[in-house]
Amino acid sequence: MKNGISDSNGSYDSVIHRIDPVAKIPAALAAIVLIVSEPLNVPISRFALYMLIILFAAALSRIPLMRYLKRMLVVSPFIAMAAVFYPLSLYLSSRELFLLDSDIIYNTAAVIMMKAVCALFVLLLLTLTSRFTRVMPALRRLGVPPLAITLAALTYRYIFILSDELQRTNRARESRTPGRLVSNRLGVYGNQVAVIFLRSWERSETVYKSMLSRGFTGEFPYSNYSGPDSRDFLIATVFVIAISAVRFISFVL
Amino acid sequence: MHISDGIISTPVCIAAHAASAGLLYFTGRKAEAAEIPRMGMTGAALFTASLIQFPVAGTSVHPGLFGLTGILLGRRSFPVIYMALLFQAVFFQHGGLLSLGLNALNMGAGAFAAWLLWRLKGLPEYLRSAAAGFLGIMTPALLMTAEFRISSYGSAVALLLAIYAVTGAIEGAITLSAVKFFRKVKPEILTN
Repeated sequence: MKNGISDSNGSYDSVIHRIDPVAKIPAALAAIVLIVSEPLNVPISRFALYMLIILFAAALSRIPLMRYLKRMLVVSPFIAMAAVFYPLSLYLSSRELFLLDSDIIYNTAAVIMMKAVCALFVLLLLTLTSRFTRVMPALRRLGVPPLAITLAALTYRYIFILSDELQRTNRARESRTPGRLVSNRLGVYGNQVAVIFLRSWERSETVYKSMLSRGFTGEFPYSNYSGPDSRDFLIATVFVIAISAVRFISFVL
Repeated sequence: MHISDGIISTPVCIAAHAASAGLLYFTGRKAEAAEIPRMGMTGAALFTASLIQFPVAGTSVHPGLFGLTGILLGRRSFPVIYMALLFQAVFFQHGGLLSLGLNALNMGAGAFAAWLLWRLKGLPEYLRSAAAGFLGIMTPALLMTAEFRISSYGSAVALLLAIYAVTGAIEGAITLSAVKFFRKVKPEILTN
C-alpha cells in the first residue's frame, strides 16, 4: 500500500493493546472531552501534565514514539494554522491590535493548539492500539446501530481494494497527460474520480450477490467476541481519573 | 476543511454529535440490505477518490466530492460521508473523534445541498452538476466559518470563504466532468 493506509496495528502487543475497545473507546472519548473543554484562559503549563499522562500510556503501548510523532507531523501544520488564525482573525477584524491584550490572545492561540495536539495524541493512542476486528463487535456492544457497523466494516474492507485501483488510475492518468496544464487536466481528474466510483458500484453488485449467497441479512455476526473484563475497565478508569485530576486541579488547589 | 478536536468549542461539538446521530438514524433507516454494500463501497470510493492530489498554485489540494456523493446517493450520502470521515480521522488524523459529528454535519450538508440542486430538473445538466460540486464545498465552508465565529474567532474568519471559493470552482469542474462521464458510460447511476 503506497497511500499511507495500513492496518499494522496488530504487530505490537502490550497492556494497552489488550484493553477491550468497549472500555478503551469511552475512556478515550472522555479524555478528549475533558481536555478540549478546558477554558481558553487556562495556563499553558496545564497541558504539560496532560501530555505526561498520555506519553506514559503511549510508553506502555510499546509502540515507538517516533511512530506517534510521524503521524502527528502530517496534521500538525493544519493545527498550527488553526491556532495562528485565531489572533490573525481578531487582528484582521479589529485592525487595531493595541486594543487587544496580546499576551492573552497568544496564550489563547497556544491553548487551542495544545488542546488539539493532546486530543490528537489520545486519538492516535486509541487507533494505533486497537485492532479493527475487535472494534466492530465492541461498537455493537456500546449500542451503535447495526447499519452503521456493517457500513463501517464494508467501507474499511473496500478502502484497501480501491486504494490499489487508485494507484492504477493514477499511473494511467500520468502517462496520458504528461506536462499538460492544470486547467486542462481537471477534466481528466473528473474522469478518474468517475472511474473509481463506477468500478466501486459495479463491484458492489457482485459483492452483494456473493454476500446473499452466504446468508447475509444486513448485519455481520460477531459470535467469537468475548467482551471486556474488570481489568479492562480498571485500567481505562485509572486513565480517565488521571486526566480528570489534571482537569479539575485548580478547583482542588 | 476537516476540523480537529480542540479547535471548535466543546458544547458545539457535542451538540453536533447529537444532531449527526439523529441524522444518521433518519438518513439510514429503512435501508434495504441491497443498498448497504453499495453504500459501503461508495464510502470507500469517496475516501479513496479524495486521496487524489492535484497541484494548485505551488501546493496541492484534494477533492472533497461531497457534491458528487449527493448526486449519486441523495439522502443516503450522510451515513456514507460519516463513515468516510471516520476513517479519514483514524487513518490520517484528518478531523477528530469529538469533531467527527461536526465535520459530518458540515460536509453532509454540502452533499444534501448539492442533491437538492441536482433535483432542479429545469436547469441544464452541466449547470446543475458544476453548481452541485461548487455547493458541495461552499456549504461546509460557510458552516465552518459560522462555527469558528461561535468559538470566538474574529469576523475576518469569513476570508476563508474566498479560499474555498477557488476550491469550490475546481470541485465544480471535476463534478461536471464526472457527471458527463457517467452520462456517457452508465447513465442509470444518475437517477437520483
